[in-house]
Amino acid sequence: MITAAETCDFINEVVCKPANVKELFEFGNFAGTQISRTEILIVLAALIPVVLVFFGLRKKSVVPGKLQSVVETIFSLVKDEIAVGVIGRGGERFTPYLLSIFLFILFGNLFEVAPFINFPITSRMAIPLFLSLVTYFIFVFVGVREQGFGYITHLVWPSGVPTALKPLVGVIELISVLLVRPFSLAVRLFANLVAGHVMLSLLLASGYFFIVQPGVSEYIISKAPVGIAWFTLGLLIYGFELIVSILQAYIFTLLSAVYIQTSLHPEH
Amino acid sequence: MEAAYALIGYGLAAIGPGVGIGLIAGNAVQAMARQPEAAGMVRTTMFLGIAFTEALALIGFVLFFLV
Repeated sequence: MITAAETCDFINEVVCKPANVKELFEFGNFAGTQISRTEILIVLAALIPVVLVFFGLRKKSVVPGKLQSVVETIFSLVKDEIAVGVIGRGGERFTPYLLSIFLFILFGNLFEVAPFINFPITSRMAIPLFLSLVTYFIFVFVGVREQGFGYITHLVWPSGVPTALKPLVGVIELISVLLVRPFSLAVRLFANLVAGHVMLSLLLASGYFFIVQPGVSEYIISKAPVGIAWFTLGLLIYGFELIVSILQAYIFTLLSAVYIQTSLHPEH
Repeated sequence: MEAAYALIGYGLAAIGPGVGIGLIAGNAVQAMARQPEAAGMVRTTMFLGIAFTEALALIGFVLFFLV
């Protein structure tokens, strides 16, 4: 299925996408180069936040304009609610990292519901995995720097547990912190976006085919109501996916902050 | 046939997280109704709990595609 979705970009069949984005799907590799659509969208997802923040905060007026108030709202959400609110003492210095991943994932996810693009870059496993590995290295590094070698020994040999249970709890804790955390962080984002993308593509494409019926013109009237029903359901899911995109960016950032917090202040 | 087994497996994997998310959201609504001034904190914790619970269902979903 994954490989089918991968090859789906480069074939001309309209099976796995709404038909009106054909030219974007036929983008493929540029002539003679190896630059694909995904890479262009990655660069876009990185550039749009930079441009937005630059123009939003260029003139820092006391009474903020429209763009400035939007940027300031996002900034205060990440700084006050996530960085300071979750990490607590010493959390401000993680604000740049958290804001970067929040904006990158947000725009990467919003490509899913952007008309004529309809492709979330975070539904390629490489990107969530890379972002979660960055978070992983940051929280392990912070843990080792704050607690020294005690960070690892505390994981393997936890305090506050009866001695007989310590080996068992230690193994479970070690696996859950060092293996399951980065994996589940990546898979959560990836699977949410893949599910949404597959659902939208199926509903909208089947709606389109029931209404248009390429090549079979006499059945249009009888099958059109089915197509309209699918299309309506697809548009409802469209709104739902908009919420999911924003929520998943927020959850990824929040969980990164929680993981950093557990290695920064282990007593909580 | 393997795809059908995988589909059944995904359905089974979704039962537990479904119940869990329901419990989390229900209890969060109760907490917010009892103490509206703590709503922000409850909401953050609710999203955290939902994210942790949802991961189990999503792993089942990914396994369904991998088979």
